Amino acid sequence: MHDISAAITTRFRVAATGCIIGLLVVAVAPWLLDTYLTNILIRTLFLATVVMTVDILWGSVGILTFGQSAFFGIGAYACGLIFTHYGFGPGWALAGLALGIGVAAVVAAATGWLAFFHGSSPLYASIITLALPIVLTQVIFSGGNFTGSSSGLSGFPTYYWDLRIWFWTAGTFLVLTTTAAWLLVRSDFGRVMVAIRENEERCAYLGIPVSRIKIMLMIASAVIASAAGFGYAAFSNVVAPELASFQLGTEFLIWTALGGRGTLLGPIFAALGIDTMSSWLSGTMPFLWKLLIGVVFVAVIVLLPRGFAPLVGGLFRRILPVRTAGAPARVLVPDTRSRLGQGADDQKPPLRIEHLSRRYGSLSVLTDVTMTGRASHLLGIIGPNGAGKTTLMRCISDGSERSGGKVEINGAEIGRGAPQDIVALGVGRSFQNTNLFDTLTVADCLLLARYRIDGARLFRSSVGIALPEPALDILRATGLDQRLADETGNLSHGMKRGLELAMVLATEPSVLLLDEPTAGLTRPERMVIGKVLGRLTRDYGLCIVLIEHDLDFVREISDRVVVLHQGSILMEGTVDEVVSSELVRSVYAGHHVEAAQ
Amino acid sequence: MAILVLDILTTAAILFAVSAGLLIILGVMKLINFAHGAFLTVGGYMAYLNGAAGLSPWLSIPLAAGVGFLGGLVIERVIVRPLYDRPLDAILATWGLGIVIGQLITLGFGRGVQFAPNPISGTTELFGVDYSAYRLAVAVIAVLLVVALSALLKLTRFGLNARAVIMNERLARGLGIDSTRVRALTFGLGAALACAAGALITPLISVDPNMGLPWLVNSFMLVMVAGVSFPSLLVASLILGGAQVVVSTYANPILGGMTIVVAAALVLRISPKGFSRA
Amino acid sequence: MSTPLLTVDALTSGYGSAAVLHDVSLQVDRARIVAILGKNGMGKSTLLKTIMGFVRPISGRITLDGRDVTGAAPNFMARAGMAHAPQEHTLFQDLTVGDNLRLGVATDRLFRQCLPEVEAVFPRMIERLGQRAGTLSGGEQKMLLMSRALIARPKIMLVDEISEGLQPTMVDRIAQALLRARDELGIAVLLVEQHLDFALSVADRVAMMKLGEIVEEGTRQELAASDGLAAHLAV
Repeated sequence: MHDISAAITTRFRVAATGCIIGLLVVAVAPWLLDTYLTNILIRTLFLATVVMTVDILWGSVGILTFGQSAFFGIGAYACGLIFTHYGFGPGWALAGLALGIGVAAVVAAATGWLAFFHGSSPLYASIITLALPIVLTQVIFSGGNFTGSSSGLSGFPTYYWDLRIWFWTAGTFLVLTTTAAWLLVRSDFGRVMVAIRENEERCAYLGIPVSRIKIMLMIASAVIASAAGFGYAAFSNVVAPELASFQLGTEFLIWTALGGRGTLLGPIFAALGIDTMSSWLSGTMPFLWKLLIGVVFVAVIVLLPRGFAPLVGGLFRRILPVRTAGAPARVLVPDTRSRLGQGADDQKPPLRIEHLSRRYGSLSVLTDVTMTGRASHLLGIIGPNGAGKTTLMRCISDGSERSGGKVEINGAEIGRGAPQDIVALGVGRSFQNTNLFDTLTVADCLLLARYRIDGARLFRSSVGIALPEPALDILRATGLDQRLADETGNLSHGMKRGLELAMVLATEPSVLLLDEPTAGLTRPERMVIGKVLGRLTRDYGLCIVLIEHDLDFVREISDRVVVLHQGSILMEGTVDEVVSSELVRSVYAGHHVEAAQ
Repeated sequence: MAILVLDILTTAAILFAVSAGLLIILGVMKLINFAHGAFLTVGGYMAYLNGAAGLSPWLSIPLAAGVGFLGGLVIERVIVRPLYDRPLDAILATWGLGIVIGQLITLGFGRGVQFAPNPISGTTELFGVDYSAYRLAVAVIAVLLVVALSALLKLTRFGLNARAVIMNERLARGLGIDSTRVRALTFGLGAALACAAGALITPLISVDPNMGLPWLVNSFMLVMVAGVSFPSLLVASLILGGAQVVVSTYANPILGGMTIVVAAALVLRISPKGFSRA
Repeated sequence: MSTPLLTVDALTSGYGSAAVLHDVSLQVDRARIVAILGKNGMGKSTLLKTIMGFVRPISGRITLDGRDVTGAAPNFMARAGMAHAPQEHTLFQDLTVGDNLRLGVATDRLFRQCLPEVEAVFPRMIERLGQRAGTLSGGEQKMLLMSRALIARPKIMLVDEISEGLQPTMVDRIAQALLRARDELGIAVLLVEQHLDFALSVADRVAMMKLGEIVEEGTRQELAASDGLAAHLAV
């Protein structure tokens, strides 16, 4: 236990050290720089803070946002409008800041609601973030004298503090928000953010409220950007529509890409470097400088998708081989409050499907499927390729999939619920392909699976991961409990299958949907899985629905089998009944009469 | 009233012409070309140069198309091809390319506004009102463009191959279609269309290094709503362009400027596939 | 004896880190039909996809006409004389029958030249040139699939479970078309099947695939006599 808490305190020590060094640099810098450079840097520090939030959204969660400038602009205009039209003083300043932050938060919430819903594409989210600054600048343009239209507002009363005080304010703001962000992306919650970026779909099926998390992050980064905008306006004494424009939003993206998305510090240094250079060089060679930035940007996107930060980082590590504060070691603990298998009631079937159908245009993939899954039963689903087996799984686990019919889980209809809502009803689903989250560790993956039940800590990491007994069994049987710190991309196929199953069990489902859980496994590995599945039905009373091609395997573990053929149930019965059926034999041998004629 | 109808029709025609190049690249390549605005600007400057050289103003359109096609082929090879698997990065890289093109134009021509000669000046009487003759000509050209593009896709072998790649690239490759070549030609074609459209609209407006940007945003939104077919792009141009004209006429032009963006975002929220499903 | 038309040598292939095929070797001679039998999920389709170039092999070698084509792109393989009739996503559903056939050959001139060949085998396709492929019945879609593979006059056709879901008369039509292609046009066929009778009625050689490996191989007569064949395919 010692080295675990050591790892965590190491991280806090690194954060604290970085924070203090940053603050020291900020404190000393104004004495070393000339007035001109200090002036430029104060603005740049505010902009760098916004770039940092862009990196959180794009680099960590994968939201390509063109619209962070809108929130910056909202903060700036809150300052300009209040000071110009209403009054000036500490009270007004606080009111303006509060207004800027409040409006930004509301706009971010609305934008997030529009952009993130289950099934929305990343491109659509980008479209919305692109529309936002365009709409906002048009609103500013149409504001007449109130907003100053295209020329903006200037000359309003503000604090003409000493440049050093401004520098300290902007610098401290940047250092503190960055420290918080640094801790956030390295916390348990940060792992969830990375998982959303890597495989949003899979996160939803683990019961993680993806859309809500994205909206919350959008709001948080809008608040920071707005505060930065307020500071920028109060310092520069000018607000103009350009501050909210889509061009500035893309410029933030360029700096983030050049610095290295997902590295947090890279984009900040890129912003500081490039913006300072721009102010410097734009006097002597304005167009050439922008041209150069454009060329470098295109080259970086094509050739160096991760930006310059990894290069610099690698160089740094070669010169100075320091031990980085890596992921803390974690331990697995049995979940004493596990509800897995409780509330299983033999009288009420946990899964009931009535007249389910699924059409894609004119093509009918499932027609009138009616079946029930009982507690403590394992139901095998077999059928030739294209019979609709996987589609059936999809219709049970995602409310928006089916075209008609009803699905009930533990007595509750799934309606049009998103996957995470259906997970909450008690459905756990494993997938046919084993694309997990390649850059996450085994422990991270288990942590994700527990998000719905245990949550994730915002700025810290927890040490223990509580798991229900059967999940621990699988991890032990496959040796995964010894490899918690390994990235899942490096696991063998069998281990990935084991991890997948353990993750689904960690969500404590009462209905388990398994799509070919043993595909590509060796005989001994199949035996392990078979044994676990047997225990889950026997001792924990789970209802398991299993798609499987290997009939020998199905025979060993299942009670009943449903045969799907061309989207409808051909027959249902025990394995032996099905195997001896002439009808099923003919379908498998290809003698079946074409139904479409 | 007649003016309003003519405004709506000609605006829709202009929007269609401007968006067609973006749509064909998205359709075949599943890729959003954010350099589209810069291509339009290049077309505008071709029209300006053409006028400065004293050539017939009509010549500027084929000239711009030729330059766009050749430039598009080069750009596809160097910048776009490595990014097929990274569609969001392709947006950024083409945006960066747009910046580069814009700066090159600024270096060459300065930031000032330039004008291109109008092939047909004056007005024509139509439905009892005098209306800009060139706007009407643009509408006619846009209609011809719809016919020509549809014919290209429906009647030629290249069109058949391109449609096969759109519908199922895997299957198309299995039948021997070199999808890489189809994509390269498509990008060239899309760039040619964009440049030609830039040359086409320049006599109506002026040209400066940033002229393409507002057009880029509007045509991007239209294409998102239209999906990947030319008829639905025409429908989208008519409906959203019509809304823009109505809002600009009866409310104010600034609100009109954001009509397409807002309407497109809402349409896509309600029906993520836009008009292409209908 | 000249070199075999297609050789597959110690091929291992799969998706990502998971190998589906292990060390598979086989060869197909000119104007011969080879059938690979096996149940669902045993790697048969993956074998065809790897030969065609859709799946990149992990190791091993593929040659066509003596030329090493390991890892070549599908469009290259198609132009080199290999036609693939896949099991899923077989046709362009929204295109007409005629356009689907046109896509089977490199140029429209060749298309017009080769059309009579299709007419000889599947006259019904010529009647329906203007109809959308998606509106054809299941059996007609299979005919179109076969026609499109044949029209290019390939050296070899890779045919994936063509008999699945077809009524017996239709299966016979397909069998006749395959035999005609072999005997009159000298086209070789690599067939992947679960339908035992159909496969045995056309194939010169038969191989048995289980869990990504070829477990038995021989002439049709040899394997028909073996008990293993029926046992492997039994439900």
